[in-house]
Amino acid sequence: MTSTEGYKPESGLAAEIEVEAYHRLFPLQYYERHLAESVRPDSRALGRARDTTIALGPVTSADGSALVKIGDTTVLAAIKLEVMTPSIDSPDVGSVAVDFQMPPICSPVVRPGRPAEVAPVIAKQLSDVIMSSGMINLQELSLISGKAAWMAYLDIYCLNADGSLFDAALLSATAAFSHLQIPLVSLSDDGKLITVSEELKDKAAVEPVNKENRKLTIAVAPFSLTCIVHGKYILADPTSEEESVMDTHVTVVLDSKERLVSLYKAGGAVLLHTSVVKDCIVLAKQRMEELSEILRESLSAMEVD
Amino acid sequence: MATGTLGTYSPSQSLERRHQQQKRTDFQEVDWARSDGRNFHQCRPAFLRTGAASSASGSAYAEFGSTKVIVSVFGPRESKKAMLYSDVGRLNCHVTYTTFSTPIRGQGFEHKEYSSMLHKALEGAIMLETFPKTTVDIFALVLESGGGDLPVIISCASLAIADAGIMMYDLVSAVSLSCFGKNMVIDPTSEEEACQDGSLMITYMPSRNEVTQFTLTGEWPTARINEAMELCLDACSKLADILRSCLKDNASELTA
Repeated sequence: MTSTEGYKPESGLAAEIEVEAYHRLFPLQYYERHLAESVRPDSRALGRARDTTIALGPVTSADGSALVKIGDTTVLAAIKLEVMTPSIDSPDVGSVAVDFQMPPICSPVVRPGRPAEVAPVIAKQLSDVIMSSGMINLQELSLISGKAAWMAYLDIYCLNADGSLFDAALLSATAAFSHLQIPLVSLSDDGKLITVSEELKDKAAVEPVNKENRKLTIAVAPFSLTCIVHGKYILADPTSEEESVMDTHVTVVLDSKERLVSLYKAGGAVLLHTSVVKDCIVLAKQRMEELSEILRESLSAMEVD
Repeated sequence: MATGTLGTYSPSQSLERRHQQQKRTDFQEVDWARSDGRNFHQCRPAFLRTGAASSASGSAYAEFGSTKVIVSVFGPRESKKAMLYSDVGRLNCHVTYTTFSTPIRGQGFEHKEYSSMLHKALEGAIMLETFPKTTVDIFALVLESGGGDLPVIISCASLAIADAGIMMYDLVSAVSLSCFGKNMVIDPTSEEEACQDGSLMITYMPSRNEVTQFTLTGEWPTARINEAMELCLDACSKLADILRSCLKDNASELTA
């Protein structure tokens, strides 16, 4: 079946080159031999995700921002608030516009003339999840009922693509909303809203419109886990290499109250049994607890400063 | 879904304009304090790190004050099929801004002028004969624009190219300088840049004592140009030392 069965190389370097060549020529068998030992090439257990870190507020020109690293996948989310006039049938509701972009720096397959195919798919998925999970109460984004409300532009940039892009993007969006600081605004003479800066706050004659409402309350936060299913194995949090070799992905999104927000399985060679789906949900639940702990720690680290 | 796309405006617009008018009168005086407490001939502290993006051949992240730039280098890789054969390698530079890099949200756009200036600045320093028929792609993404963007992009790009192992004659460092009447201010922030009378940017290879790019714009009293050049060249050599020590630290981390 494989060329390396009968051949035993002597020195360490030759053995390394053999492994590398096997990896390149027969990637699927390379992974299957690892899976048979219940381990992955980067020595993770099958159900374990990579190390995750969250850094809040890296971009000072945005009203809220977060940088998330899951293993090598790096995603930066930033929110900028602008004022809009709300629609007539919902006069005291703000709005959120979600955009996910993969600039050419993130991966060798993305070129300036040829944008990545997955970017709009992930953007749509993200905006569906954020709207339907009830993370944000849009009424908190309202300023003057019927006249002015906040439009939150959430822009997510992938800085390095190494698998699990949706997970990292959702986590960065949640972290950016938790970090968001709404600026104080007051009504100027010509009917527009302008920001009140710190020096003018005391001596200005104008009253700030939104003195009480500086941070958004995040009632429930959604967390997701992407898994790959191959034969009878479930691999959590795949790298981009694993994603390219095995094509059946399942994304489970749970919120912090352990309710299922979204389940997404788009085609793929393997058809799932309900038992496999249940196992994926259990893995997602563990991941949700890990992630909410990490998010809570980084938020409290910000409070201390 | 997005109901107000036509009519959104940023609330901080009119306040900024009022501030700028104030500042314009301030800058004409002889002595004024810079917003971040530096004196006129002091550059911003630089934070540099290589290896920011693992999927690229080489990458670097630079943070000068509030200007944050990430640069990835891919290559040498196959040129596009449409390109004719060439004996020397090709460079393809691309500078993009994120939508949240400026205080007022803009569209994420490619800055064509900066892309071509970056190309000119690096062309002279890279040994193009070492990779014929192939292209090296250099992509820069400006995460936050706090003034003096192009010099930071150039310095960060030369660090990324060195990280990718592409042969260069020397590391390239760039510094810009603003002129306000009689005063000269090095490494300006974006508020200072907005009210400047003239600007000078030099891209320099210190070990070979060669300038790869020299850009002078605006109103300059002739006597000051020489002095401005000396200041810039000095700052460039110091910056190149910092770039070099960053590369050395990274290399020692890998072997350790």
